[in-house]
Amino acid sequence: MKVILVDDEQKFINMLAKRLAFRGIQADTVFSGEDAIQKIQHSDYDVAVLDIKMPGISGLELKKKLSSLAPELKFIFVTGHGAKNTLENDLIKKDIFLSKPLNIDTLIKIINEITKK
Amino acid sequence: MNDAINFMNMEGLKFFGRVNASISHELKNILAIISETAGFSNDLTDLAKQGKELNLSLIESCNDSIAEEIQRGFTTIKQMNRFAHSVDVPIKDIDLLETLDLTIKLSSFLSFASHVRITNPGKEIKSVLTCPFLMQNLIYQILCFTYESVGPDGEVHLQINSEENGGIHLVFSSSGELVLEGFPNQNIQKTADILGVEFNIKTSSIEFDIWIPYASDKINLLSEEL
Repeated sequence: MKVILVDDEQKFINMLAKRLAFRGIQADTVFSGEDAIQKIQHSDYDVAVLDIKMPGISGLELKKKLSSLAPELKFIFVTGHGAKNTLENDLIKKDIFLSKPLNIDTLIKIINEITKK
Repeated sequence: MNDAINFMNMEGLKFFGRVNASISHELKNILAIISETAGFSNDLTDLAKQGKELNLSLIESCNDSIAEEIQRGFTTIKQMNRFAHSVDVPIKDIDLLETLDLTIKLSSFLSFASHVRITNPGKEIKSVLTCPFLMQNLIYQILCFTYESVGPDGEVHLQINSEENGGIHLVFSSSGELVLEGFPNQNIQKTADILGVEFNIKTSSIEFDIWIPYASDKINLLSEEL
């Protein structure tokens, strides 16, 4: 199982990566959409955990780009925003959406579920 | 004048909501870091309970990180408080540098914000009689426009020139060309009109400037109505 965490809040995903590693999940971190696109071209990942709002690119736009490079990649969106229905794009309603602060057990449960399919 | 007051109320509420949403986003990020760091610290102590050696330097690092984020939270709440109190008095003398400082900080919570570098004249600048909340709204809107033009990796340079024609000139520029098509939009222009602020725009330029009067008849008129 290999996960890529994408968020401009560097401390947040660095800490999350360490906690996932404790639980047997290898997680790489990148702090921008551009870096994620670069990284995904050189490594295989099962799941991408994306911040919805990042400088330069939205999580949704990034998903489209990453999907074209890695069609099997599964996505989980994470946001500091309050509620799912405040997000403007209907497409996101079909995706998995978690609100910060995260519950690590919930995140791992979802990672396991979506990679089983 | 009623039209101006209706506009101020409508747009002011939108602005208030937008800024508060961005502050709540910032606070959630802070809490998320604290939550993950505390969780990691718990992971380390759980390991220690199972007989593994406790890495004290990692625990110290967690404590330092939590303390830093708490400080970041306090700073954010202080800015939120300053912003909330900007509606207390509808028209008053303001220190434009303070207003700029707060508005730049508030706009920095936006995901597309660029870095802003201020150059001030190095001397005390005269106060400006204005509507503080609406002035913040105007500067915020202008910053958003320039951020979209410059991008999150770029830098906006803000030069303050005081004592010019009974007001203060703010010159906005960047290292690259500013895309000023459609600027100022209707909302920005209307906000500026209410405040007596004037634009000097050169299309396809690397800079534009705004002129803020120390006082204006428009503001005096508004003051009577509010």
